Amino acid sequence: MTKIALSFELPANLNAEKFIAKLAKKTPCELVQQHYAQKSFYDSFDWRLYDANLTCEFNQSKDATLLVLKRTSTADIIASTVIDKAPIFAKDLPISPLSDKLLNLLEMRALLPLTTLELQIYKLNIFNEDQKTIARLLIEDYTNFGCRLAIQPIKGYDKAATNLHQLLVKHLSLIVIRKPILLAVLKSQGRKPKDYSSKLNLQLKPTMPANKGIRIIYKTLLNTIKINEQGTIDAIDSEFLHDFRVSIRRTRSGLSQFKAIFSNNINTHYSQYFAWLGSITSLSRDLDVYLLNIDDYKASLPKSMREDLNPLIIFLQTKKIIAQKKLAKKLTSKKYLQTLGQWEDYLKQPPTENTSLTLKQLADTRIWTVYQRILKEGSVITQQTPAQALHDLRKTCKKLRYLMEFFQSLYPTSKIKILIKSLKNLQAVLGDFQDYEVQENALRKFSEEMMHLQSVSTPTFLAMGVLVQKLDEKRCQARHHFAKCFIEFKTPSNQAIFKSLFAMQTRETK
Amino acid sequence: MKVIATYNIKGGVGKTSTTVNLAYLAAKNGYQTLVWDLDPQGASSYYFRVKPKVKGGSKALIAGKRELDGLIKGTDFDYLDLLPADFSFRNLDLVLDARKKPTQRLQKLLKPLADEYDYVFLDCPPNISLLSEAVFEAADILLSPIIPTTLSLRTLEQLKRFIKENKLKNLELISFFSMADQRKKMHKEIIASLGKQHADLLDIVIPYASDIEKMGIKRMPLGAYTQKGRSVEAYQALWQAILQRI
Ligand SMILES: Nc1ncnc2c1ncn2[C@@H]1O[C@H](COP(=O)(O)OP(=O)(O)OP(=O)(O)O)[C@@H](O)[C@H]1O
Ligand SMILES: [Mg+2]
Repeated sequence: MTKIALSFELPANLNAEKFIAKLAKKTPCELVQQHYAQKSFYDSFDWRLYDANLTCEFNQSKDATLLVLKRTSTADIIASTVIDKAPIFAKDLPISPLSDKLLNLLEMRALLPLTTLELQIYKLNIFNEDQKTIARLLIEDYTNFGCRLAIQPIKGYDKAATNLHQLLVKHLSLIVIRKPILLAVLKSQGRKPKDYSSKLNLQLKPTMPANKGIRIIYKTLLNTIKINEQGTIDAIDSEFLHDFRVSIRRTRSGLSQFKAIFSNNINTHYSQYFAWLGSITSLSRDLDVYLLNIDDYKASLPKSMREDLNPLIIFLQTKKIIAQKKLAKKLTSKKYLQTLGQWEDYLKQPPTENTSLTLKQLADTRIWTVYQRILKEGSVITQQTPAQALHDLRKTCKKLRYLMEFFQSLYPTSKIKILIKSLKNLQAVLGDFQDYEVQENALRKFSEEMMHLQSVSTPTFLAMGVLVQKLDEKRCQARHHFAKCFIEFKTPSNQAIFKSLFAMQTRETK
Repeated sequence: MKVIATYNIKGGVGKTSTTVNLAYLAAKNGYQTLVWDLDPQGASSYYFRVKPKVKGGSKALIAGKRELDGLIKGTDFDYLDLLPADFSFRNLDLVLDARKKPTQRLQKLLKPLADEYDYVFLDCPPNISLLSEAVFEAADILLSPIIPTTLSLRTLEQLKRFIKENKLKNLELISFFSMADQRKKMHKEIIASLGKQHADLLDIVIPYASDIEKMGIKRMPLGAYTQKGRSVEAYQALWQAILQRI
């Protein structure tokens, strides 16, 4: 069967009751249900469902509550499940095709309510001469957003669905839906989908003065910090804090990379402040990471040992609750709010610095310098080099990554994407190497602390011991992997792109 | 996917009524359920108001020309689908006979549906034939309604012997009394005396009742028009007992 549109809008001059009366004259049908309902829309803070062309609805009526996942563009139902409360996390749902799909997309992100609509629902059966139902119609009459209708085809009765489609469009002048209702609702609230993304998407001009350009960067980062502040305080999910911290790190990196632009006083003052912000948020984030890793930890253990890790989970969760309380207090403190406000005011003031540097010149020099440093630091690393050298290289890589992300829009997209990708691979192996080491040490520390707890017994420590060993194996693998990744990063073709994008201009300006 | 075939050599013992009502209950429990009407009379198709017609008839069906999935019709009930009968099914034996390994044919045709359905009910025509042998190979459970008469019991013995002789090890026979008339002395006596003797005979009796008979007029499963009563409870008990066995 060729795919037909299944969702329609009623024209403005037609309401649900009038439509049903008209339909009944054209085809045998029966109104089997009519009731009041509420429909709430959900997505993650960073619009993961919307990005995947999906809409998540929670429908509540007197006799049923249903979580439904639809394709946004066509309003076709992809999966649904009966459930009495909308879940916060996908992992809280009973296992079903719906939960699989949601878990895949949302991962650790919470489902947040976007808006709730009130509506009247009508359900109609279309039947044939044997009184057999051959198609169903669902009419949703919204209080403020018009009336929509969906054909629900029945297996093996494709022709009936096609005929019904024809009838609705040709004879009852319904309009095939082009715009999902969610968009109309958001618009009425002055919102747009995808009004938040954790990715930096700066549009900068190469010729703008450098001091103006970096203010735009700082302002964007500050904005992300503020957007994620409340979610971090409320600990809605782990990613608010994560995005909050990434923006802090990016700001710190900027303050050290663009030292030459602002005055020394300013740089030192705010570097200290953001370093402090980094440090007060780090324990909470570390605990989040361990908790997010738990499933992987379990999977790396023999089946018989997996449940022995449960006391570790409780230990971490308890620690997290305490850390979170402290963090929330700090993020409502005068020190935090006042300095952040000052930073905001400072960025708002018109630039007074005396600089002839364009943004592109600044970008070229910084990227080229840091890139050279990576090459230098990386080439001296052998199997015997102490771990610290790799940790240092990791930091340098991070600096380059932030710079390239800040200034992406100044360079040809295809080329800069290649470079970012190859840098990502190198960062991944360096990240693994350090993370495994940090995790090993943390587990050792946790086990010492847990010794004092009555409730924890030998099998748990045994499982943690095995886990430390597994992490150590992975750490060694990462170390082994490094040489290969570094060679891949500095291939002649990558070097040539780096040179063509960043080096020539640097020389010209000198 | 579990395949449950309702079968008896004798006609008119309640096979179709059992299929339709149990499939309805399975779907009501949320199991994806399919009824395959293998009887050219198309009685279960009739109960679900689905036209007894299969494109290409028995030949195309057995040849596997079309995937079974494309022939399936949704019933008026959630989770419950039907593969309708066709008048040409009266030749099913001949069509099967023309193939290699005829008795494995149904099993093979059902295989692609394994992910889609939890339960498949086969509504079989009476008598013993090549088709019923193919049914025995495909089914996990052979559900046999018997009317409490001495003759019916003999046919049950025959069936048991057949299963044994043909080494159908994976096939579980479950039988129960059907259309039992409490007013008939003989029915009562047979149920009382036999109930405990046979392990494969369930301790459940479907009564002879007018609300069950009405299915023919209502053209829907019993549970779709009555929610209470002895008959409804008897079918529910039967379904629970079968679930226990599985
Ligand atoms: N428990 C019952 N009480 C009263 N009538 C019944 C009962 N079960 C079945 N009937 C009626 O008996 C007749 C035969 O029942 P049914 O069609 O279920 O048997 P069957 O074994 O499938 O028959 P066939 O061998 O013709 O396929 C039908 O008219 C049905 O309505
Ligand atoms: Mg029958």
